[in-house]
Order: sequence, then C-alpha cells, then structure tokens
Amino acid sequence: MNMMQVMQSVVWAVLLWPCLVSLGVPLECKDEQGSIILCASISKEKLLDRVIQHAELIYRVSEESCTLFEEMFVPFPMRSQRNQAGYTCATKAFPIPGSKSEIQQISDKWLLHSVLILVQSWIEPLVYLQTTLDRYDDAPDTLLKKTKWVSEKLLSLEQGVVVLIRKMLDDDMLTTSYYEQGVAPYALQPEVLESVLRDYTLLSCFKKDAHKMETFLKLLKCRQTDKYSCFLH
Amino acid sequence: MMWRDVGVTLILSLILPVVAQGARHTPPGKPKLTSCRSPDKETFTCWWEAGSDGGRPTTYSLFYHKENSETVYECPDYHTAGANSCFFSKNETSIWVNYNITVVATNALGNNFSDPVDVDVVYIVQPHTPENVTVGVLEDEDGPFLRVSWEPPSKADTRSGWITLIYELRVKLEEAEEWEEHRAGQQKMFNIFSLHSGGVYMVQVRCKPDHGFWSEWSTASYVIVPDYIPRERSMWILIAVFSAFIFLILTWIITLNRSSVKHCLLPPVPGPKIKGFDQQLLKKGKPEEVFNSLVVQSFPPRSTDYEDLLVEYLEVYVNEKQELMPEGKDLQDVGCLKSKSQSDNDSGRGSCDSHTLLMEKCGGVESKDESSYEEPELLQGQAGSWERLERGDSQVVDTPDSSDGRVKTWPLVFSPSIHGSSDNHHYGTLEMPKQHSTSEITYSVPDHLFPTSTSFPHHHHPEYRDSLGEYSEYRCSRSPSTGVAYHWEARHPTQAHSNFNIRNLERQKEATGLGLPPSRSMEYVEVQKVNQENQLVLKPLSSHGRGPFQVQFGRAGVDYSKVNGVNNDNVLLLQRQREMAEAGQYCNYREKEGAEAERYPTQQQGKTTKDGPVATQLQESTCLTTSGYVDTAPTMPTF
Repeated sequence: MNMMQVMQSVVWAVLLWPCLVSLGVPLECKDEQGSIILCASISKEKLLDRVIQHAELIYRVSEESCTLFEEMFVPFPMRSQRNQAGYTCATKAFPIPGSKSEIQQISDKWLLHSVLILVQSWIEPLVYLQTTLDRYDDAPDTLLKKTKWVSEKLLSLEQGVVVLIRKMLDDDMLTTSYYEQGVAPYALQPEVLESVLRDYTLLSCFKKDAHKMETFLKLLKCRQTDKYSCFLH
Repeated sequence: MMWRDVGVTLILSLILPVVAQGARHTPPGKPKLTSCRSPDKETFTCWWEAGSDGGRPTTYSLFYHKENSETVYECPDYHTAGANSCFFSKNETSIWVNYNITVVATNALGNNFSDPVDVDVVYIVQPHTPENVTVGVLEDEDGPFLRVSWEPPSKADTRSGWITLIYELRVKLEEAEEWEEHRAGQQKMFNIFSLHSGGVYMVQVRCKPDHGFWSEWSTASYVIVPDYIPRERSMWILIAVFSAFIFLILTWIITLNRSSVKHCLLPPVPGPKIKGFDQQLLKKGKPEEVFNSLVVQSFPPRSTDYEDLLVEYLEVYVNEKQELMPEGKDLQDVGCLKSKSQSDNDSGRGSCDSHTLLMEKCGGVESKDESSYEEPELLQGQAGSWERLERGDSQVVDTPDSSDGRVKTWPLVFSPSIHGSSDNHHYGTLEMPKQHSTSEITYSVPDHLFPTSTSFPHHHHPEYRDSLGEYSEYRCSRSPSTGVAYHWEARHPTQAHSNFNIRNLERQKEATGLGLPPSRSMEYVEVQKVNQENQLVLKPLSSHGRGPFQVQFGRAGVDYSKVNGVNNDNVLLLQRQREMAEAGQYCNYREKEGAEAERYPTQQQGKTTKDGPVATQLQESTCLTTSGYVDTAPTMPTF
C-alpha cells in the first residue's frame, strides 16, 4: 500500500507540475534564466484592445481638461492660437508621420515604438503640469483630478505598450522610461499670463499627442486583424 | 460774372460724376475665411467670403504655411469645391499639424489680406451622413420593435481605425412634433421598443468622430408598425371589462332593492309647503290662481283684527251641533281650515301625499257633515275676521265648500304667527301651520296656541316646543281644493300621549265646549296663560262659571282631554274627562288614508270604553282623522 500511494502521488505530481508552475507565474512574464517560462498572460489581441481603450480614454480626458482650462483661464482672443512665440509643441526626436499614407507605410515596429516614445515623453510634463495647476487660485477640482488621472493612466499605458512590444515584436530590450531628455521645455520663468499660455499650450499639445497614440494603436490593430483590408482604403 | 459762375457750375456738375466714378474704384474689401472642413481626416476644404470688391474685378488667392515652417504655399485647387473655396488633397494634407491660412483679395488697385486662421485637420472633421439607413419591424414576445441599421459614410475610413465614429439616431411618429434621440455609440444597429400600434415612424441617423463635428441627419426613413395590442393594454381591457361586469351586477342589485336603498340613503325629509300653493292648479296651468293662493289677505294682521282675534272667541260650528272652541286671549284654535289647496310636499310619506286623499277627506268630511258628523266650524266671535278668512279661503280655493263658512276645527292647527307676507296672512296662519311638514309643526303647534308671539310670552313657545318636539310626526297636508285637512300622523305612540296633551287642550276646550252639549250652548274657554309647568291656565268664559281649567300635559285632571294613547292603527285616543258626565268625548285621532271617516264613529265607540265617561253624544262625533283633527261637531250644538 505504501508503495502504491507513493507511486500515485509521484504520478500526480508529474502530471500536475505544469499547472503548479503556471499558477505561480505573474501576468507579466519576466525573463528568467534558463527554464521554460509558462506565462499565464492574455493574448495579444486582448492586450492590444486594452491598450487602445487606455489611449482612447486618455485622449478623451485630455480633451476635456483642455476645454476646461481654456474656458477658465484663457482669454478669448488667444484661443486656438497655438503658434505663440515660443509656445509650440516640442518636436520629437523622430518625425511623426503626418498623413494616413505615411502612417501606413510605417511598420508595426515603428508604430509601436512611436507610441512608446510619445507616451514616455509626456510622463514628466504632466507631473509638472500638476504642480503648476496647484498654484492656480481657482483651478476647478475636476481639472486637477483629470490631469492627475491622466498622468497615472499614462504610466499604465506605458507599461502596456512595453508589454505589447515585447509580445508582438519579441523585443525584450526595452525597459521603462525610455524617453528623451529635455521633456520640460516649458520650464521657463513666466509671468502670469505667460504661464497660463504655457500651460494651455502644454495641454493642447498633449491632447494632440494623445490622439496620435490612439490613431497609431488603432491602425496597428487593423493590421493585426486584417492586414490587406487596412491598406485598401 | 454771373455767366461765368453758371458756366463753372455746369462744368463742375458734368465733371464731378466722372471723377467720382473713378473714385469709386478702391482696393478690395477684406475677405474672411468662414470655415474649413474635412470629411475624412485625409483631405479638407476651406471656404471664404469676399468683402466688397471695390468696383473692379477681384481675384482671391489662398496662402498657407504649416507650423514650424515658413514656407508659404498657395492653394492647390480652387475649383473642386466650388467658388471661393480651396481644396487640399491627400498629398497636401498633414494631420496633427497646424495650418496657418490666409486669403488675399486682389484687384487692380490693391489687395487686402484676411485674418489668418489656424487649422488642424484633426479637429475639423465633419463626416458625411451615414448611408444605407434601413428600418425593419421585428416581433418580440412583448410586441413589435424597430431595428434600425446603417453604414458609415463611404468616405470615412472606419475600417482601418483611422476614424472612429459614434452614431446618434432620432425617431418620431410622423404626426408628432418632438424627436426622440438615442445615442448608439460605435454600433451600427439600434432597437426601438414601445411602439404605437399602427403608427408611422420616421428615423434619422447621424455620426461624429470622437474629435470633430456632427454630420448632417440622414434622409428620413419611414416605417409602418403593424397593429397589435400591447400587453399592458390588454390587461387594462380585461380589468375594465371585469369592473364593468361587477358594476352591472351591483346596479342590478341596487335596482332590485331600490326602495330600501333609497330609504337608507335618502331618509325622507319633510318638504316645505308653501301655504296657499296649489300644485294642482299649477299643473292645470292657471298661474293666477296659484299665485293668488299664495296671497293671504289676512297678513299682516291688522291690529284691530288681531285684537279682535285675540280677544274674540272662536266659535266652532258644526252642522248639527256646534262646538265651542274656547278661545283664550292668546289662543286661537282653528280647526281644519279650508285652505287653498296646498299640496303637501312631504317627502317620503306617501300617506299624506295625495291631495286627492285630503280632498276626499276634507271634502268627504264636509259632505258628511250633514250625514255622519258635524264638522265643527270655527266661527270667530268677530265674525268679520272669520268671514274674511273664509272669504279669503273661498277666494283662493275653488271649492265652494269652503264658502259654507264652516271651518273644520283643528284645535292645534291654528298658528297665527307664522310666516306670511300678505295682509291675509294672519288668517292664513290659521291654515298654515298644518301645511308644514312635521318639523314645522314643532313650532307651529305651540304657536297656534298662542296666536302671536308678541302677545304671549315667548318662553312658552320653546317649552311647548320641547314637549312638542316629537310632534314631528304631525303633518299637515292641505287638500288641494277643499281646504286644509290636517293630517296627523302619530308616529311615536309613546309620545303621543304628551303630544296630544296640547291637543287635549283643544280637546278640552272642545270638551269644555262639548261639555256643554247638554245645554247645547257654546262654551268658551280662555287661556289665561301658560305657567311654568307647561300648563295652560284656562279660564272658561262661559256663564258656567267654571273655574279656570288647568290643562296639564300629561296629567290627568278635570276637564282635560287627554290622549289615552295610540292604538295600533295610529289612532290617537283622546279622552276627555269632564266634570260633566255627559261630557266625555272621545275622539279618535287617527292617521287616515282614504275615506275612512265612516269608521270613526265605530272606532270611537270602541274606544270610549277605555277611559272616562263617554259622552254618548260624542260618540257620534266624527273625528276627522284624516286631517287629524278632532271633530266634535256631532256633539256640539249647531248654531
């Protein structure tokens, strides 16, 4: 009897060993040395969907924040004047495609990387924006909440894009906070009106970049599902 | 000199228009960019409006430069989008880039720049309307519903995710005014429930990118909903049918028990009677007579007459015998006064309702005056007043009977102080009280004992009233034409005794009068006063020299006529106890319906054995029970 029981337990252990291993593995698989990694993770499509949802939400919240800020602080004649001296959106390290045809010519890899760069470039400015907004006397609570929420969600988006890159591109070399320096071009010594314009420019540029992220990701998704129909249009 | 001036003026007037015409040519006015729109986020168009053209042909050109670049480009296409427009093709369109656009108007004299406008294509997207909007009716267990489906505009590239569109649709009945709007999100299909059966619906759809403008509404699609019965309505129909059924059953039950329900819900209320008002006459359509009857000549009582009435005694005449109605100073007894027909409007009491009944009674009684009984006739000592009364009656009443001059005596009937408006009312009051319904009797009864309130202490009235409070059962109804037949109805036999004590007074007076029958003389009794105990202090005025009678209600005494009781037939048994043996008199007061006068004598006789001496002579006296008064005529010597 003893022998039989031992045999059974060994067999059970052998059979159930993959399960045991898989149960303990976190969602985000980390590179571990050597052994086969069984990752309990979501599929690429679902991950991409979630990332896209993140991006959509971020864009919508940023649009609302920009509108709020504009209504509260920006004098009317200066609205939609984005080309004020010195207050243009910061150019990125690499050229962002400006049309659909251009974007369609970009590979998946570059799309994802562009997204990542964009995301990472905005993490710090948003934190900075929060501090400046606190200095406003009558900034509405919703505006503060929204900007806070956006900066948090941006971090999650960054993580998701990193994972996505790793999954789709099998590119493990990326780590977080891969962004350029000089992300605080707006740290000037302004006067009051200038600071308002500066913040306004910052918000509107972020809104635009959020839209870019969203568009890139959506185009990427189309390519994942049906590559040919995406290019037919 | 003058000619020179004129000439200069002429020349100037000719030259100036030419010069002015030349001066009208100016550089063009300032153009203005009105809007820029992109239907697909890949191309866009800008429109401008021209300022004044300055009188010369003006050309417009559009220049732009992108942000972060100083290179100025001119509009590549002025024609595709129509006049005063500039169309940017795919190659010239960059998104996420601000365009700085300016329009220049140029003519021979100069040019004019518009204000620059910054445009980012991403934010000016306005798609076309959704296409292929189809509406269908589908069935569900709850009823039909609409399924609306559509496709995105062909130009917008939603498939690749380049543009994300959200949709909105609106629905209304064709004849309705307000649209009902629904957000459909990103889906391309929508269900609409809770439809009006048989209605025609209109549906429209529009779309918007998540960062742009709403498109125009699509053309309306019509759909007809087939007829159906909504479930909740069918439930209501069921409930309605069920309640209608129950209602019918209840109505049927109530109809079956109509009378008892009516009795329960609407207890009979004695109706007012207008003295002197004859409904029969009204029905016959003789308004003059009707209204004449209302006019009582005897009111207000003339002082002289009144004095006389107070002082005089009423003589009661009967056909063969006359009964003296003792009349006190304050007492006027009136028998059954022939009044103008006054139909009794007592509600709920069929017994007294019919005028004919009373007519019969009164008339019958009258006719029987000679035969069976004698109706006592009140004859006022002051003949004038009575005659007037009679005359008044006869004026009003068609029946010639009343012109007999006989007035049926009803001891309690007379109430002189009742409402009246005319001169004759005083007389009318004689008749009046009994016309009222039972409730009125309450005040009328004592009233008649005391002709006027003024002449008599008031306080007695309420006392009497109290004791007579139960007199509600007494009702007087007038016979339409023959006269007042007062109809007494004893409803409360127990109280009848006390109630009738007042009658007793009358009776007593009658009795006193009757008590004289042996001598066949009229005897008058004068009521001196009413003392505290509701006792009428009577004083006979006859030569008999009897002492004042004291009438006490409810107390047996000499010379009282009191009610023995009420028998089963609601016959008030009056008993007169007289000092004189022959003065016993019995009258039965009875509510009577129909001509039962003949029965009275027998009944009376039957009753006479009950109590007290019975005056044989009185046995023949018929009591006019129908009218409710005691007719002591038979026993009274007739004058």
